[in-house]
Amino acid sequence: MNDALRYEWTRIRTIRSTWWLTGSALGVALLISVLLGWVGHHDFSRNGASADDVEGFGPFLVTQFAASGAIPSLVGFLVAMIGIFAWGHEYRHGMIRASLTALNSRQALWTAKYVVVAVWVAVVSLVAMLMSGLIGLVYLHRWVTVFDGETWSVIAWQTLSTVLLTWLAMAFTALTRSQAFALVTIFLWPLLIESLFNVFFQLVPGLRDHQDVLRFLPFAAQRRMVDVLNDASSTFGEPMSAVGGALVFGGVAVALMAASYVLFAKRDA
Amino acid sequence: MALIEARGLAKAYDGKPAVRDLSFEVRPGSVTGFLGPNGAGKSTTMRLMLQLDNGAGSTTFDGQPFSALRQPMRHVGALLEAKPFHPTRKARNHLRMLAAANGLPTSRVDEVLRLVGLTEVAGNKPKTFSMGMGQRLGLAGALLGDPHTLILDEPANGLDPQGIQWMRQFLKALAGEGRSVFVSSHLLSEMALLADELVVIGRGRMISSGPVSSFIEGASHKSVLVHTPQVPELRALLAGREGVTVETGPEGEVVVTGLDAREIGDLAFDHRIRLHRLAPQTATLEEAFLAATEGDEEFQAAVVPHPQGPTGWARE
Repeated sequence: MNDALRYEWTRIRTIRSTWWLTGSALGVALLISVLLGWVGHHDFSRNGASADDVEGFGPFLVTQFAASGAIPSLVGFLVAMIGIFAWGHEYRHGMIRASLTALNSRQALWTAKYVVVAVWVAVVSLVAMLMSGLIGLVYLHRWVTVFDGETWSVIAWQTLSTVLLTWLAMAFTALTRSQAFALVTIFLWPLLIESLFNVFFQLVPGLRDHQDVLRFLPFAAQRRMVDVLNDASSTFGEPMSAVGGALVFGGVAVALMAASYVLFAKRDA
Repeated sequence: MALIEARGLAKAYDGKPAVRDLSFEVRPGSVTGFLGPNGAGKSTTMRLMLQLDNGAGSTTFDGQPFSALRQPMRHVGALLEAKPFHPTRKARNHLRMLAAANGLPTSRVDEVLRLVGLTEVAGNKPKTFSMGMGQRLGLAGALLGDPHTLILDEPANGLDPQGIQWMRQFLKALAGEGRSVFVSSHLLSEMALLADELVVIGRGRMISSGPVSSFIEGASHKSVLVHTPQVPELRALLAGREGVTVETGPEGEVVVTGLDAREIGDLAFDHRIRLHRLAPQTATLEEAFLAATEGDEEFQAAVVPHPQGPTGWARE
C-alpha cells in the first residue's frame, strides 16, 4: 500500500494539470473574495451594516456563495477535475497497463488514488477557504466576524463536500473510462439534469405534490451540507440537515465508488 | 534464475478465441522471440502473462504468479505498447513515478536514462519525442528495477537501423547476464539475429516452439544448388537414384534434393563431372515463418493486382 501511495503522490505532483487546476481554484477563490470583500466594504462604509446584512457573511465569503445553498462551490468543481484526471489519464494515455505492471495490486492502486486525491483536494479547499476568510477579514473586520463558529462549521462541511464531489467524479470516470464524458457529466448533472427534474416535477400534475422527494437528488443534498440560510427541519426532512445532505450525497458517491472498484477489479486493463 | 512458465493460457473476446491453450517456457540466459501474424494473440498473451487481462491458465516467474511478486518491477520489466506515458509529464518524472512504486532510488532513474541514451532529454516532455525515443523511454521504465525478466512487445517499433542494432545488442547483452528476455517482433530479419529460441503462434494456437535453428531447419527443403557446365551428364548421373529429385533452378542451375553437398561433390568427382558451385539451400526465418503460419493470418489482404492495370485496358 505504501508503494501505491508513493506512486500516486509522485503522479499527482508531476502532472501539469494538477497545478493549473489548483492555481485556478485558488485564483477563483481570491478573485471572488476580493470582489465580495471590496463590495461589502464599499457598501457597509456608506450605509452601515444591519444584523440581516451580515448574517452568514463569513460562510458566504469562505465558500464563494456556496453557503447560500443556491449554487455549488466553483472551487470544489475545479479541484474535482483533478480527481477526474487521476483516472482519465490512465485510460486516455494508455498508462493503466504501466501502472498495473508497476503496482501489481488493483486494490492498492484504486485505494491510493482516492486517498491521495482526497488529501490534495481537501488541503486546496481548506487553503482557499482560509485565504478567502482572511481577505474578508481585511476588508470587513469592522462589521463582520468572519471566523465565527458558524464559519468554521461550514469550512469543515465544505471540505467534506469537496472530497465527496471529487470521489464521485473519480468513480464516474473509472466507471466510464472516459474523462471527457466525466467532465461534461459532472457539470451537467447539477446544472441541467437536476434542474430538469425540478421542472418536470413542477409541470407534471401528478408529480407536483411529490416535489419534496427532489431533496434526495444528489447535488440538491450536497448543497444542504453548507447551506446557512435555510434551517434544517430534521436529518432527512425538508430541508434536510447537513448530516442528511452528507449521507445522501456521500451515499451516491460511495455507491459509485463501489461499482467502480468492482469493474476495475474485473475488467481487462 | 528467471524461468517463465506459461501453462494453458487462453482468452476469448465475445466468444471468439484469441488465445487457445498456450503453454511455453522462457529460459534464463536466452532471448526468446515471440512470433505470429497480426491478430495471432501475441499482445493478448503478454497481457495474460502479466495478469492485466482476464483469462484461463497461469504464468509463473520463478514459480510465482505476477500478482504475488513484491515490488514487481524488481522481478519483471514490461514494455507492452508504444508511448505508455502521459505526454506532458517529463521523462524523468515519469520514471521517478515508476521508481516510487517499487521503492527504487532516484539515482536509478538517472542510471537507466543513461543506459538508453536519453539523459539529455530527461527534462523534456514525451510529446516532443520521436517514436524511437518513446520506445527507449518505455525500455528505461522496464529496466528500472533491474529485473531478471523482460517482456517486450515490439520494442523495435519506430527505431531507425542504428536504433534497431542498438536494441539487438542491448537485449543480447541482458540475456547474456542470465536474464530471461521475451520479445515479440514483426521484424523477422532482426529476430533471426536476435533470438535464440522461438515461440510461434497463429490464431491463438501454438505452431512451434524451440531453437531458432530447428525452426528454420524444419522449413528447409535440404536442397543443393549446383552450377555445372555438364548439366545433362549430372542429370543422367542422378536420375533414378532412390530418394533423389532433380529440378531446374531459375537460372538454369540444377537443384538436387535428397543428397547433401558432400555426396554430390564426391559423385561428380568420381564421374569426372566439373562443378563450378555447390550451395546448400536453407530457408530464411521469413520463409520458415510464412510456411509455418500459412493460413493462420487473422486478416488477409487482397492479392496484389496484375501490373496490367484495371480491367478493361492494358498498359501500352
